[in-house]
Amino acid sequence: MTSLTLNAIIEGRQRRGRRHFRLVGLMLVLVLAIFALTLSVGQSITPPGDVLRVLLGENVPGATFTVGQLRLPRAVLAVLAGLSFGLGGVAFQIMLRNPLASPDIIGISSGASAAAVFAIILLGMKGPMVSVFAVVAGLGVALLVYGLSSRNGVAGTRLILVGIGVSAMLESVIAYILSQAPAWSLQEAMRWLTGSVNGAQIGQALPLVLALVVFGGLLLSRSRDLEALRLGDDTAAALGVRVNATRIMIIIGAVGIIASATAITGPIAFVAFLSGPIAARIVGNNRSLLIPSALIGALLVLAGDYAGQFLLPGRYPVGVVTGALGAPYLIYLIVRVNRTGGSL
Amino acid sequence: MTVHTLTASGLSAGYGETEILNDLDLAIPPGKITVIVGANACGKSTLLRTMSRLLTPHRGQVLLDGKSIHKTPPRELARTLGLLPQSPIAPEGITVADLVSRGRHPHQNLFSRWTRKDDEAVDVALTATKTVELADRPVDELSGGQRQRIWIAMALAQETEVLLLDEPTTFLDISHQVEVLDLLTDLNHSRGTTVVMVLHDLNLAARYADHLVTMTEGRIHVSGRPEDVLTEATVRHVFGLESRIIIDPTSGRPIMLPIGRHRMATGQDVKEDQP
Repeated sequence: MTSLTLNAIIEGRQRRGRRHFRLVGLMLVLVLAIFALTLSVGQSITPPGDVLRVLLGENVPGATFTVGQLRLPRAVLAVLAGLSFGLGGVAFQIMLRNPLASPDIIGISSGASAAAVFAIILLGMKGPMVSVFAVVAGLGVALLVYGLSSRNGVAGTRLILVGIGVSAMLESVIAYILSQAPAWSLQEAMRWLTGSVNGAQIGQALPLVLALVVFGGLLLSRSRDLEALRLGDDTAAALGVRVNATRIMIIIGAVGIIASATAITGPIAFVAFLSGPIAARIVGNNRSLLIPSALIGALLVLAGDYAGQFLLPGRYPVGVVTGALGAPYLIYLIVRVNRTGGSL
Repeated sequence: MTVHTLTASGLSAGYGETEILNDLDLAIPPGKITVIVGANACGKSTLLRTMSRLLTPHRGQVLLDGKSIHKTPPRELARTLGLLPQSPIAPEGITVADLVSRGRHPHQNLFSRWTRKDDEAVDVALTATKTVELADRPVDELSGGQRQRIWIAMALAQETEVLLLDEPTTFLDISHQVEVLDLLTDLNHSRGTTVVMVLHDLNLAARYADHLVTMTEGRIHVSGRPEDVLTEATVRHVFGLESRIIIDPTSGRPIMLPIGRHRMATGQDVKEDQP
């Protein structure tokens, strides 16, 4: 009797586990497929064979420049930024148990953006130093929002409202600095307002890969504690989680990864905010959402950038496309949360 | 099974500057059911939170087997002492079996894989709470009573020998309240689990407690056998309420009947004093 129910329990767990991994595998395949598509199909079509030869380092007349210099850096950066936004966003949403608590809503992305703009335009900085500056500023904003909203512990709603206020303030700082920039091109300005991977260079990938390894690794190592936090802070503590220490680790990891990506691509609108809920809708809430959400982030940025370049009339930076997707969802969420008081 | 002692001594605790518990001493009898009752805001929940490491005391200490719980690593503590808080949150769409599995958290670490032992603990927890047939259902679809059994199942999967519960019967109708309390009593009898819970209903408290603790203004008022503790004087002191105590013919335990100002059998309602 007992062994019968035990077998049913084991079987059920394995079935749900297999389903989860199948769906995550499917997402991975989709990311790779769109990645391959963006390498071979653009203004002109490059045969897959030629793409492969370029990737292997051969010199293919007519393809080496298009694929190697234009499309590859752009696609690589899109994937890395998407993974970063997806991972950092969902970590925040889960930690605070609220889909509105995403770093792009509560001011962390705008903090990193403002710092990057400040460093580039007013201090004349370049390369990895900008990322470091953005990460430090992102952490600063996170601490500020956290500090301003804590009174006998941090309430999620208060933190979100404070964050929205801080975010609005920082947006105006960005606008001010951009207005001071001499001969600043419109396209570059767009990057700091909505985010884009225009003019990507392969060298920019390195700081992002590093950030993903360090900060992403930190987040993934806390994945189990994060899952326990979804049951409520008290329940998590009763299960042996050091709630405050875990929170600090998650904030460092998520802010680090989001700010690093923002320093390079700008705050690609709503990717951090959308990835987690989309991933949850697809794989459910039985397992950790960190990796599914990262993959959805990569999909959103890759597909959004591709659509912005080739599928829509005119050309738009990726942030415009993801922004158009995200805004209706934000409205829906605010209406729904207002009605039910629900959480992610 | 080892028997664990849980005691609080000279405990003062609260939130920020406000002190809610005030120099409180309490010893939980091992292997028994202890029920804590008291008026709103008397510090019942704060006491439970402090005794389970959720809150750090300002002064005094909580000892589990003679060792301060606030100096025990949380994961180690969570293998001996479990707590079911008042309003745990179920992630949207999570299935019962997966939620109950989360009780295994303190038994796992970053590198350990899910083992047969974990599955067995989940099986035992589902069986004990009679929720095996719900295992594959989403928690959202369950009734309040079923949901409470799932949360208790999660606490059971944690396999702690001391279990604290903060108002496990709130929001349940009377039949589900009795069901939950029967279930906890079964666990206490079959496994010797030490159960400590906060309850609102005095009569259910007196019915199910081996040891009844009454609290007022952050201190213990009296504690002991329900027959000795639940008296008209206690109710007057703790709740500021006039009452009559009679004996329940079924259980032999005391029952408290409140005396209000209306509906007296004499037909003579007590008039409120005129200002």
